[in-house]
Amino acid sequence: MRLVGLALIIGGAVLPPFVLNQYWLHVAIISLFYVMMASSWNLIAGYTGQVSFAHAAFAGVGAYASGMLALYAGVHPAVGVMAGTLLAGILGAALGGLCIRMGGIYLSLTTLGFSEILRIIITNEEQWTRGTMGLQVPGLFTHYSKTSYYFLFLGVALALLLLMRWILNSDMGLAFRAVLNDELAAATSGIHTVRVRLLAFTVSSAMAGMAGALYGHYLMLITPDIPSLGQMFLVLAMAVIGGMGSFAGPIVGAFVLEVLSEYIRIYGEYHVLLFGLVALVIARFAPEGIAGVASRSGWKR
Amino acid sequence: MLLEGLELAKSFGGLTALRGVSFQLSPREVVGLIGPNGSGKTTLFNLISGVFPPDAGKVFLEREEITGLKPYQICRKGIGRTFQIVRPFLKMTCLENVLVGMVGTSGGNGPRQARQEQAMAELKFVGLSQWANRMAGDLTLIQKKQLEMARALATRPKVLLLDEVLAGLNPSEVLQALELIEEVRTRRGITVFWVEHVMGAIMKACDRVIVLDQGQKISEGSPEEVVSDPAVIRAYLGESDA
Repeated sequence: MRLVGLALIIGGAVLPPFVLNQYWLHVAIISLFYVMMASSWNLIAGYTGQVSFAHAAFAGVGAYASGMLALYAGVHPAVGVMAGTLLAGILGAALGGLCIRMGGIYLSLTTLGFSEILRIIITNEEQWTRGTMGLQVPGLFTHYSKTSYYFLFLGVALALLLLMRWILNSDMGLAFRAVLNDELAAATSGIHTVRVRLLAFTVSSAMAGMAGALYGHYLMLITPDIPSLGQMFLVLAMAVIGGMGSFAGPIVGAFVLEVLSEYIRIYGEYHVLLFGLVALVIARFAPEGIAGVASRSGWKR
Repeated sequence: MLLEGLELAKSFGGLTALRGVSFQLSPREVVGLIGPNGSGKTTLFNLISGVFPPDAGKVFLEREEITGLKPYQICRKGIGRTFQIVRPFLKMTCLENVLVGMVGTSGGNGPRQARQEQAMAELKFVGLSQWANRMAGDLTLIQKKQLEMARALATRPKVLLLDEVLAGLNPSEVLQALELIEEVRTRRGITVFWVEHVMGAIMKACDRVIVLDQGQKISEGSPEEVVSDPAVIRAYLGESDA
């Protein structure tokens, strides 16, 4: 039974490039980007209780760092992605160090501020970033092919998910959950709570940076939309609707919302309204999200 | 001397919670800390366990000063505690609750298998072994208290601070809890510092009792000495008119 399930999953993951047309393959690639974003955001928000609004900003850091390195310094995009990941991790550690002790709503506000400052800088430093017109950057492959990008995104998304799974099953994961459950009790049980939260924040920011850098090189055009709050709220909605604090939740949420948004694209900005409504309904009737409902009604996670 | 507090003081805004309290605990002692509501008992525990630093005074563990260290550092030095209002990790299993206590401290070294067994042994010690894989949120009040005790014991403390473990328990549960505390001392060799309102239990189980009133130590001695001390009677019952 387990083997059958595994075979289905592998089949389902490998098949898309052979059965989907170019448009839906694009949707699949974007979905995988959101899987990375929503899952890594869930690592801090769902497992250590820190609702950061800077996650899209860190994706922007990764995208612009890698793109500008390729454009202005001739660095190979693959190296650029690593540099973007590293920079997002470093900035994450710095921002985390600044606001983690504040906790709660103050952390949310500080990260919100960081996110907006970054977006405004990127929009206004036109001579470097070309502002809202967007920066054209080289792709990762010499021959453009959606199939190669699909497998690259699939591989990286799986690697990030496995890394998160490993972290959550380790002592560190136990400490994450203890901090989320009760910070004072964790501290008096010997857990260095500030370090635990900072580590989660740094790892999660670096992952967003990597996702953003790959995304930029796939689209080959990066704009201030990547580090925008609209993007942030989409990621947040994916995690919440899918099921925050569960491993499968953000993965499910990313696919569901990305595919849904393709269908309702014709209604323009109204899709934001619809996502808001869906999130509200979920929060009211199924606070554990789609994954929570699925596992409660007897599905295997 | 195992644990020593010197002239500890703390105020919150205009309210003085503790004004110069000193105490000493010897190894393997069970010492009760009593006093009317608001006399500063929990504040004293919070100062010892590092929840907040004292305004003045010092705390020593085995002659090493630990004043102003963070809670996780104090825990690692060997002071475990439970809370007046229980705080187990509700959305984790009982086994995981205990494992958290081991992860942060020296108990966390060694292979995973050995640690699981060690954590199971702690659950067995407090009588929760059948509940190992249940969520802490599903437990009854006394079980949550037992779980907190197991978690604190898993940090391998030299001193255990118990904050009203008997509150809300029925008489047979009180007896159960008293046996457990006695075992903590005899079988584990841990010193117990214990805040409690249930006087009968304090009389039965403690070697020595410290009495606080309005942030000051007003009496100290054997349980019998303390309950017959006029200062203590005055603090609890008020001034006699006669």
